[in-house]
Amino acid sequence: MRWGMVIDVRRCVGCQTCTIACMQEHGLPAGQVWRFVADCEVGEYPDVRRLFLPMQCMHCADPPCVPVCPTGASRQREDGIVWVEYGACVGCGYCAVACPYHSRHLIHEARGYFDALTPPELATAQPERVGVMTKCNFCKERVDGGRAQGLTPGIDQEATPMCAVACIANVITFGDLDDPKSPVARLRAETKAQPLLPECGTEPSVFYVVE
Amino acid sequence: MAATNGATIEKVPVYCYQCVAGPDLLKVIVKDGVAIGVEPNSDFAEQHPACGKVCVRAYGLIQKLYNPGRIRNPMRRTNPRKGRSEDPGWEPISWDEAFDILGGRLSTLRARGLVDEAGYPRLAVTFGAGGIAPAFLGTMAAFLSAWGPVDQGIGSGQGVKCYHSEHLYGEFWHRAFIVAADVPRCDFVLSFGNNGDASGGVTGVYRHSEARVRGLQWVQLEPHLSITGAGAVEWVPIRPKTDAAVLFAILHAILVEHGWRSVCDVPFLTNMTSSPYLVGPSGYFLRDPATRKPLVWDLDRERTVPFDDRLCVRPAMEGEYLAAGVEVGADEAVTSVSQRVRPAFGLLIEHVRPYTPEWASGIADVPAETIRRLAAAYLRHARVGATIEIEGVTYPHRPVAVLLGKTVTNGWGGYEACWARTLLAALVGALEVPGGILGTAVRINRPAQNRHDSVRPGPDGLMEQSTNATTREGWKGSPHIRNAYRTLVPLVNNSPWSAALGPAHLPWLFLDKDAAPEHWPAPTLPEVWIIYRTNPAVSSWETGRIERELERFPFVAAFAYTQDETNWYADLLLPDASDIESLQLYRIGGTKYQEQYWQHSGWALRQPVAATPFDTRDLTDVATELAARVGILDGYLEAVNRGAGTTIPLRDEGYDHSFKPGDKPGVTEIWDRVCRAATHALTGGRVELDLDWFKRNGAFFVPFSMRQYFLHTTMVAQGLRYEMPYQERIKRMGEELSARLHERGIKWWDVQLEEYQALPKWKDFPGIWQQTAVLRGKSAADFPFWLLTSRSMQYSWGANVSLPILADVARHVKGHFGVMLNRGAAARLGIANGDLVEVESPTGKTQGLAILREGVRPDVVVILQQFGHWATPFARDLGMPNLNQVASMDLTLTDATGSGADLVPVAVRRAS
Repeated sequence: MRWGMVIDVRRCVGCQTCTIACMQEHGLPAGQVWRFVADCEVGEYPDVRRLFLPMQCMHCADPPCVPVCPTGASRQREDGIVWVEYGACVGCGYCAVACPYHSRHLIHEARGYFDALTPPELATAQPERVGVMTKCNFCKERVDGGRAQGLTPGIDQEATPMCAVACIANVITFGDLDDPKSPVARLRAETKAQPLLPECGTEPSVFYVVE
Repeated sequence: MAATNGATIEKVPVYCYQCVAGPDLLKVIVKDGVAIGVEPNSDFAEQHPACGKVCVRAYGLIQKLYNPGRIRNPMRRTNPRKGRSEDPGWEPISWDEAFDILGGRLSTLRARGLVDEAGYPRLAVTFGAGGIAPAFLGTMAAFLSAWGPVDQGIGSGQGVKCYHSEHLYGEFWHRAFIVAADVPRCDFVLSFGNNGDASGGVTGVYRHSEARVRGLQWVQLEPHLSITGAGAVEWVPIRPKTDAAVLFAILHAILVEHGWRSVCDVPFLTNMTSSPYLVGPSGYFLRDPATRKPLVWDLDRERTVPFDDRLCVRPAMEGEYLAAGVEVGADEAVTSVSQRVRPAFGLLIEHVRPYTPEWASGIADVPAETIRRLAAAYLRHARVGATIEIEGVTYPHRPVAVLLGKTVTNGWGGYEACWARTLLAALVGALEVPGGILGTAVRINRPAQNRHDSVRPGPDGLMEQSTNATTREGWKGSPHIRNAYRTLVPLVNNSPWSAALGPAHLPWLFLDKDAAPEHWPAPTLPEVWIIYRTNPAVSSWETGRIERELERFPFVAAFAYTQDETNWYADLLLPDASDIESLQLYRIGGTKYQEQYWQHSGWALRQPVAATPFDTRDLTDVATELAARVGILDGYLEAVNRGAGTTIPLRDEGYDHSFKPGDKPGVTEIWDRVCRAATHALTGGRVELDLDWFKRNGAFFVPFSMRQYFLHTTMVAQGLRYEMPYQERIKRMGEELSARLHERGIKWWDVQLEEYQALPKWKDFPGIWQQTAVLRGKSAADFPFWLLTSRSMQYSWGANVSLPILADVARHVKGHFGVMLNRGAAARLGIANGDLVEVESPTGKTQGLAILREGVRPDVVVILQQFGHWATPFARDLGMPNLNQVASMDLTLTDATGSGADLVPVAVRRAS
C-alpha cells in the first residue's frame, strides 16, 4: 500500500479552497500553509500561458527530509506517508533545507489572526507544534480514522485528505497507488501523470497531469 | 452529535450564499459549542451539481462569525458632523434604544407623508451585494411591502458586480437575465472576458473543469489573462471595449464571406426568428393594413403574405421586392407603403458588410486572420443539423456559445455586444438548445420561479414583453424614485428587481446641484436611508463624490457587520446576525444565476450554528419589531402571509399557515410556518416538513427536469419566434421615449436615445471614455493606459474583506494586493516588481504596489475587485487601491440602460 495523489492541473482554477480547507483541518496558525496553489505564467506577451499548480509535500518514496533529521523526528510510514513526530523534533530545519519542494514549515509561534485568539482558534490550538517542523501529512488522522471505521481513503469523504474533499474542480485524486483498481492508480496510468522535479530522484507519490 | 476525546462534535447543515452562484450546501463543525470548521455537505452529493462542495469563501465563515472587528452591539452617532476626518463618536446602546431611535424616525416620517415634495419616497433602502441580499434579509421585504413607497434605487455601485446590458437585453430576447453556455454539451466557447471560473461559483467551476478534460475548446478574448483565461486553449489579448467590433466582424465573416446559406441553420432562422419580416422605408415592419401582421415575401407565390401564413414555406430572406402595406411607427403612426422593400435578414447582411475582419483588426488589435479562424471554428463546431436526446425529447444540438464578461456587457457597447452574441447563436440555431447559450433565470419578467412560464405569446409572433410604457398615455413622466427607471429605461420593466437594475448611479449624479438636469424634479435626499451589505463609498465610481454626498444624508441606519466606509457616515449601526447565526429558508436548485443547472429543486435552511458571540439580531426579528413600533404589524404579517421576502405564501390551495391580525411571531415561528408551506407547495401536499426537520437535515429536494433548461420546446409549442436580428420594438420604444422626453424639454438623455437602433452600429466606444479627459480640459494622450478591474473569487460579494484568513490565501493569486501591469511596459516606465506606482486618471490618483505580468496587454493595468478601504478593519491595512477612486461618474459614460463600465483612461508612473 502506498498512499498518493494525482493532481490534474487542467482542472485547477487556483481558487485556494484546498489551501484554506487544509489550514482549517489542521488548525494552522495565522500565516502558515501546508499547501497552496501557485499562480504561474509561462512565456512572454502575447504568447503566454497561465496555469495553477497545487504545491504540497510529495510524500516521496525516498524522502531526503527523513535521513537528514538528527533526532529521528522526520519519519516515513510503511504506507508512504512522511510525517513529523513533534515530540522528537528540535526545529533545527535540516529537513527543510533537504526538501526540494519547500514543503516543510517551521512554526515559530502560534499566532492568531487577531490581537487575541478567537474561540475557534483556542478550540483548535495545538501547542505541541510550536517551535517544531510541520508539514502536510496526507491527513493521516482522517486516513487512519476512516480506515478504522472500514472506510476507503479516496472514496469515502471521512477517510480522504481534506484538500481532496474540499476541491471544487476534482483536481485532486487520492488513494492507494499500489492498487491498480484504485481511482488514483487508474488516473495516473490513463493520463501518464508525472512527478515534479523527477531529476531529484526522490520518487514522489504526487503526480501531475498537465496536458 | 458525536463525542471525540471528550469533546462534543456536532455538524450543523446550512447553506452558503455569499455570491449569487449559490446556494451551496455545507456543514459547520461545532466543537463544544464553538464553530471550528466547515466541510462539504456530502449528504447532498447526489443532488448538488458540484457534489455538495463549497468554495473558499465558505471556509471563511468561521472567522466571519467570530471576527473581533465586528460591530458588537447597536451604536448611535454622537458627533453630528459627518466627514472622513470626523470620528463618528459611536456610543453603544441597547437594541431597545436602537428600535426607539429608528422606529421614532420612521413614525415621524410616516406622519409627514411617505412621499416628499419632489414626489420621491422619504424612505430609501439600499441592499447591496448583487442578488444575495434576499437570502439574508429574512422578512425585511414584508416590512417594506407594508410600509408603502420606498426608494430602492440609490445604487451600491455596479461595474465588476453586474452584467447590466445582458440582464436587460438577455431577458428581452430569450428570458436570460444571465446568459450561460450549456457547458456539459458544448464543444466551443468564444468568451469575451467572461470570467466564470472566478465568478461562476462552485457549480460553474465544476462544470468548466469537467468540460476542459472532456475536450471543450475555450477561447478567451480579453485584455488581461484572467483566471478563466488560464484554462482556455487560446488567449486573444483584445483592446478594451472593442469586443463589439470583433463580434461584428465574425458576423461579417459568417454572413458575407462564408455564404450564410451553406453554414447557418436556415430552418431556424426562417421559422424561429423574425429574419424574413419585410422592413419598410421608415425602418418598421411592413404590415398587413387590416390585421397589422408583419408581412413576408413568399418566394413561391411571389407576393407578400402574413408571417404566420402556413402555406408559405419559402419566405424570402434576401432580395428586394415591390410590396404594399403599412408601417406602424412610434405612437401608432401609420404610414402607407408601396415600394421596394427588403427582408430584415437582407438588411442585416448589408448592415454587417462594412464590418470586415480587417476593419475590426484596426480597432481591436486582433489580427484579421484570427477573427476569420475563430469564425470558421465557431461554424465548424456548431454542427448545424445535429440532434441530441434529453429525457426522451429530441433537441437540436448546437455545441457552440459566445459568452460576455462584465465590462463587455456594461455601459456603452453593451447593447451591440449582446445583440451580436445573441445573433451569432441564432445564426446557427444555438439559442436555447442543448450545447448553445441559455438563460438561467428571469428577474424582470414574471413568474420569477419559472422561465418557461414567463414566455407568453405577444404581437407579431414574438414573445410578449413587459416594458415601461413609452406611449403618451402610459409613460411615467414624473420619476417615482430617484433613479427614474420607469421614466428612462423601458426595458427594465417594473418588477421588484427593477429599481436595482435601473440607472442606479443617477441619484448620486443628480444629488450634486451642479449636475442636476434640466426639466427634472429637484434632487432631494431621503429623510431616512436604511442600508444593508452596501458600501457605495468603495463600490461606486468616483468614491470621493459619494463621500461628499454621504455627508449630507440626514439620517442613515446601517445594518453593519463592521465599521466601513459608508456606515462611517451613518447615524445608527445595527449589528445583524450574520450568515451562520441567523435563520432563513431559501430556494435552491433548478436553474438560476450564473451556472446553476440542477436536476433537483427545493429549499435549504440557513440556521444559527452556535451561540452568537455578540449582541446581534436576526433580521426577521428586526423586521417584526420595526413593524410593531411603526404601527404596521398587521400589514407586515399579511405581507408575510403573501410570501413577501420568503417567496412562498403561507396560505394557498390546500394549506393555511398564515398569521392572524394581532400576532407578533418570533423568528422561529415565522420560519417554521414557511418550512411547512414551502414543502407543502413543492410536493402538492404530499410532504409537509417543519423547521426542526430542516434544522436536522438542511435541505429538501424534488426532481427538476433538464427539459426546463431549454426554452426551445416552449417557443416551439407556442409557435413563437425570437426577435432577431431586427429590433423593431427597440427602435419604436426609443423614438417614443425621445418624443416624450422632448415634449418635456429634456435633452440631456439624447445621446442615450441613440442606442435604440434596429440594427446596432459600431461607435467609437473606447473614445467615449477617452473623452473624459477632454471634458476636464485635459489631453487624452496624457492617459495612454486603460485601467480595468477583474473578479477575485476570494473576495467577491460576501462582505468578507475584513477577514485576514482570506487575505492569507488570496495572496497566492496574482493581483492581490496591488496593480497588475505588463512587464515590458513596466520596464519602459522604469517600474520594477513591487515598486509603488501611481495611477492617475483625469479625475484622480491612487497608488499600489506593482505586480508585473506577461498576461496583461501593454496598454492595460488591472486592479482587482473593489478595495481601497480606509475604515473597514483589516482591509484598511491592505494598501490595495481601487479603480473607483479614479473612475469618473458621468452622464456621458451612461448608456441607455443606465449602465456604465469599469474602464478608466489613466497614466501610470513610479510613485515618487
